[in-house]
Amino acid sequence: MKYSTADMDDDTVLGPAGADLESLALAELSMRVEDHFGVRFDDDEAEMFASMTVGEFCAEVARRVQTASAT
Amino acid sequence: MSESVAVTGIGLVSPVGTAVDEVFEAVCAGRSGIVRPPEGHALHGVVDVAAIGPPVDPESVIPPKEARVVDRSIVLGVRAAEDALADAGIEVGQDVDPYRVAVVLSGVGGLGTLARQAVERSRRGRLGVSPFMLPGVLPNMAAARVAIKFGIRGYMSSSGTACAAGGQSIGEAVRILRSGEADVVVCGCTEAPLFPTFADAFGNALALARGWSDPTTASRPFDRRRNGFVLGEGAGVLVLERAGFARARGAAVLAHVLGWGATSDGYHPTTPRPDGSGAAESMRIALRDSGLSTNDIGYLNAHGTGTKAGDSAESKAIRGVYGDGMPPVSSTKGITGHLLGASGVVEAAIAVTALRKGLLPPTHNLDDPDPACDLNHVRGEPSAAAVDAVMSNSFGFGGHNVSVVFGRADG
Repeated sequence: MKYSTADMDDDTVLGPAGADLESLALAELSMRVEDHFGVRFDDDEAEMFASMTVGEFCAEVARRVQTASAT
Repeated sequence: MSESVAVTGIGLVSPVGTAVDEVFEAVCAGRSGIVRPPEGHALHGVVDVAAIGPPVDPESVIPPKEARVVDRSIVLGVRAAEDALADAGIEVGQDVDPYRVAVVLSGVGGLGTLARQAVERSRRGRLGVSPFMLPGVLPNMAAARVAIKFGIRGYMSSSGTACAAGGQSIGEAVRILRSGEADVVVCGCTEAPLFPTFADAFGNALALARGWSDPTTASRPFDRRRNGFVLGEGAGVLVLERAGFARARGAAVLAHVLGWGATSDGYHPTTPRPDGSGAAESMRIALRDSGLSTNDIGYLNAHGTGTKAGDSAESKAIRGVYGDGMPPVSSTKGITGHLLGASGVVEAAIAVTALRKGLLPPTHNLDDPDPACDLNHVRGEPSAAAVDAVMSNSFGFGGHNVSVVFGRADG
């Protein structure tokens, strides 16, 4: 599946205001992160993704990866 | 007398083409759509023969962001609906109130995608299952995608009536239009059953044609040596309108749906009632509903899949209804294969084209008619005949029998 990422940067919001990922796409994003990095977002956290920017989301994933590896 | 129903648009995706004239030319000229599945196809090495539809890029009909997991049946159905609406020259919201447009479109659903997801689940556990799976496989999703794409807001449903679903959708559309619930109905069926689990189920049930060295000879409706049907994929969509509405907007009318009938066999999950009584009654009801007698039907496009039991039961039914005065009969599945529920719509389009052109397509591979299929066959060459009305039959697992009657646009 090909998304154009040409207009995206760290300030792009993931949801309708930016990258326009709808509910299922955000759910899939959560799954893929879980699969790839081994970190989990619980359901109500995943609902917050739409309002996060790409940068905020990446930072949050990185923070969780670090926390997970430190324990 | 209820208002008549006009056919104003046809959209097809089939193993022998996508334009209705191309499909009609193939069934008349004997240009078969049946092949040995090539290397790289899901059915390569699984079945001897299949009727494979053309490639359709999912992203050409569904926005890429929404089409992460989408079954081919949905893609083919949306493409056929798009073509049918374009053929009818209808812009929903401009030519017709969106709440006055209905969609009746179905199929067996995205079973192939479901099967693939089940494999991923076995391999990778929970994370192997896509959240996009449900809108990618449910049998109502072709209808839903059409409504979403074209801004349709009226009645919407999906008939789960197996291989009768195409005919059933046309009938249901007629009912909706006659009731005055809608001015326009987008109706049809779409199927993409060419995946190993499904093919193996039919094969193990001894329903599929087998052992033919030339794939184009495998589908042999009514022939003495027939030994099953050829599994195929495709979609067919018709745009039907209240005739008065079509007239008022200046639409080109291709034909009228004069009536339809539906019954159930109440007999067996997969075997038709051998005496054909359920099929016979669906034809009688369709004739009554049309206000026609048997003499008025100039051509009958049979369901005729090429199975031993199915063809002989249908033949008994046709003979029982029409007797010696039966019209010319053919099954075009010798060329197209069996597109499951979509057959009913593709064959309705073929029957309507036969009506328009005064040319009746033959049954391909009918070299030696089975005495158990004692019909007025069209064999060899297409037969030229001016006809005023045609009938199309569709029957499905579960014992569904559907017959639809079409009449001339100027009738």
